[in-house]
Amino acid sequence: MRALNPSMLVRMAGDRATGALLRETGTVYLLDGEVVHAESPAAPGVDVLLLARRRLSSAEWQETIDRAGARCRVGRSLVESNLLTSGELEICHLGAVFDAAFFALAPRTGPTRFRYGATHWFGPVRPLRAEVVERETRRRQELLDRIWPHPEVDSAPVVRDRAADNPAVTRRQRAVLDLADGIRTPFTMARLLGRPAFHTLVDVRRLAAAGHLRTPRRAAAAEPSPIPAWVADLSADPDISLLRRLRDALEATL
Amino acid sequence: MPGIDECLLEAMGLPGARGAAVVEWTTGLALGTLGVSPTNDYETTAVETAELARMAAEHTAFATAGNHGDAEAAKGSPVEDVIVTTPTSYHLLRFVDTTFDSSVFFHLWLDRDEGNLALARIRLQGLAERLVLG
Repeated sequence: MRALNPSMLVRMAGDRATGALLRETGTVYLLDGEVVHAESPAAPGVDVLLLARRRLSSAEWQETIDRAGARCRVGRSLVESNLLTSGELEICHLGAVFDAAFFALAPRTGPTRFRYGATHWFGPVRPLRAEVVERETRRRQELLDRIWPHPEVDSAPVVRDRAADNPAVTRRQRAVLDLADGIRTPFTMARLLGRPAFHTLVDVRRLAAAGHLRTPRRAAAAEPSPIPAWVADLSADPDISLLRRLRDALEATL
Repeated sequence: MPGIDECLLEAMGLPGARGAAVVEWTTGLALGTLGVSPTNDYETTAVETAELARMAAEHTAFATAGNHGDAEAAKGSPVEDVIVTTPTSYHLLRFVDTTFDSSVFFHLWLDRDEGNLALARIRLQGLAERLVLG
């Protein structure tokens, strides 16, 4: 499966552009033609990943933002103030960037815009080539489809199937099963677990393939969607709409 | 405090080292690579080694907690390392334990004639710890 707009990101990267590639499902930031950050409402950010298991306290995170956010050096500042090692920062940030890029660059019709000059407050950590990010995004989609070709499970509330003869589950999958209350989606679970959303989808698809989770019946009329519908639905969330309006208003004053 | 590149560089300083990578085993993504790849393609090698690492990390046979159930469960991976030997090489996969949720390991490819497996294993253990502990 191809990302819808491979050329736009790669073209901007080829021009060594600095700015933000904006799509409905997320944003990818370029600095001098390299991918330095990505975010998506579907993917937990670095803060969620680090705070979930108390690697950082929210006070430490907030102080770093206050100190370094305006200078766009939050990532590096976490290391300089000895809150994280370089290795931890790189592992966590790369995980979050590839996760967000998977949703941001997912094939989906909808407008793609590029805002020149936009930078992200987290700041660069380990810049990536745009081609690498796009290729990884496609590979991840194929990986999900190989495990269990039913994207319905990505977006639906996770429902356990307690058949006696299901095979054993792994420790990471056990954590997902323990959160399955018939209401939570893989997306909300990822935040609770402090795990990238894609990693959670991998476990959900494996669990569904093994019969531990129910696979919702595909609606007969529904088009097979290359991206979970809940990613698009997120924009209907009042908090996110409010944040978007705030962002737009702020940008208008710049 | 070393980052991924510094740790890879240090691993490549070991006798007989031919290639090194830091890979995420849930996804098969290479976060960093140095040296040569046994398949001539870093991404393929990362996917293949990640699959092996995942099997080791997830299969219950290797996860038996024994008498230290809680202590073991608190740690990231129940497995320390995976060693593959071939007539010409050693492959060492060393799991990296982080305090946040992650699934990362080192892959070191050694020439069998020049490499010292015992030394490499000890050094890689130290590197994996320094990567996240500073």
